[in-house]
Amino acid sequence: MISITEDLMKGIAIEMVKRSCTQLPRDVMTLLRERWTKESNSAARRLLEVMLKNAELAAVENKPICQSPGYPVLYVTLGSDFILCANIQKIFAKAIVDATKKGYLRPSIVHPFSRENSGDNSGLGIPDVEIESNPDLDYLELTLSFKGCGSELANRIQVLTPAQIGEKGRGIKRFILEATANAGGIPCPPVAVGIGIGGQMHYAAKLSRKVVGVREWTDKNPDPEVASLENELLQQMNSLGIGPAGIGGDTTALAVKVGMVSTHTAICPIAVNFHCWVGRKCKIRVSLDKSFTVIS
Amino acid sequence: MVKEVVLPTPLSNEDVAELRVGDLVYVNGLIFTMRDLAHIRLSQRYAKGEQLPEDFTGAVIFHAGPVVEKQQDNWLISVIGPTTSMRMEPFSDFVLGKLAVRCIVGKGGMGRKTQEALSKYCAAYLLSPPGCAVIQAKAMQKVLRVHWLDLGVPEALWVIEAKNWGPLTVAMDANGNNLFEKVRNNALNRINNLYG
Repeated sequence: MISITEDLMKGIAIEMVKRSCTQLPRDVMTLLRERWTKESNSAARRLLEVMLKNAELAAVENKPICQSPGYPVLYVTLGSDFILCANIQKIFAKAIVDATKKGYLRPSIVHPFSRENSGDNSGLGIPDVEIESNPDLDYLELTLSFKGCGSELANRIQVLTPAQIGEKGRGIKRFILEATANAGGIPCPPVAVGIGIGGQMHYAAKLSRKVVGVREWTDKNPDPEVASLENELLQQMNSLGIGPAGIGGDTTALAVKVGMVSTHTAICPIAVNFHCWVGRKCKIRVSLDKSFTVIS
Repeated sequence: MVKEVVLPTPLSNEDVAELRVGDLVYVNGLIFTMRDLAHIRLSQRYAKGEQLPEDFTGAVIFHAGPVVEKQQDNWLISVIGPTTSMRMEPFSDFVLGKLAVRCIVGKGGMGRKTQEALSKYCAAYLLSPPGCAVIQAKAMQKVLRVHWLDLGVPEALWVIEAKNWGPLTVAMDANGNNLFEKVRNNALNRINNLYG
């Protein structure tokens, strides 16, 4: 059994916070560049250029890409031989406070009622830590995702009835596309869209956040049917003409990620979760020998 | 044909009346950041007849909350970019009518109430590139003052000297044109074509 100790985790946490705020991962940069070459609207192209340049400058100048640090969620997947000894939430909470003091994150965490700002991004339940185990893996994987909150304002969730699903899921697809159209420029397109389908409401919501926060935006879903749904929705979203920042263009979405689980015969929960173009995440793997590799 | 305009603050009605959706604007001079809590406090103080901390006549306000550094007695803007303007929709009549602000800068666009107020008071809504906070900070020359830091750094009212800040895209103008609304209506029509 491999014990993940506090000392090991502390060093990793600080690096992950800094890296995710200042360096846009490769998958996001690749998609932005690809879409920029394909964009036919000149105003949209100009905006994509500014976005790319801003991301490059942030990495060079070691500054936050966006002034808003979003909301931190840490996803932990434990491989078969790993035991988590460290108080992982406390360690990441401290790394976030330290990074805030150094100017990598704007103090943006407040009490939900009083709106009082803690001044250092500490707060109740910060960061959200989601832990799961996967006995098929021989490593520990950590993904820290800072998703912006303007994009949260465009999110939609609904528990559909079987009649609302329609033939071949047409009702579900329409719900997703309408959410995207009505969102317009609010979630800072080009967006990545996380979609949770099935389960109960909480399960669909959790899946929608996880797929867009953890998966590489350039990856392909191993399930061919879901892969085809992701592809179909991505094509359709980019045919809506919303464009970067919502000013029109071919580039509305960079990626669509679907998490699907079985549900109850009476319902079909659907959660649509928008991620802004600033796809801040840092993913690392810790091996059996306790060495770690940065995945993105 | 895209028109490029350099606007010194405070703005005149003539400056704004000529702006059309799609034009690119560069702003020079004093600007104010204002998010949710500054709007709430300003409107409450105004309603009570209390004195406001600044004169907003002809002002450019930026829906934004910066990342700042304090060096000795001076504040420096490390990075700054726009926040979602739609949250400030309930205040558009107050901001444009009572305060006489002439340009709102933000992202995501605003709604009907703002559109009507822009026409009524001759003002415009400008799009600042979302998520592009390193680049835009370069235009922020100096923090002149800050009010209401008790609201927290993002929600405080920062008074900044901007130089050649742009390009900002005119997305809603004083003539009733709204780029976001047009784009959204086209998208909804497209969905109707796809799913009938």
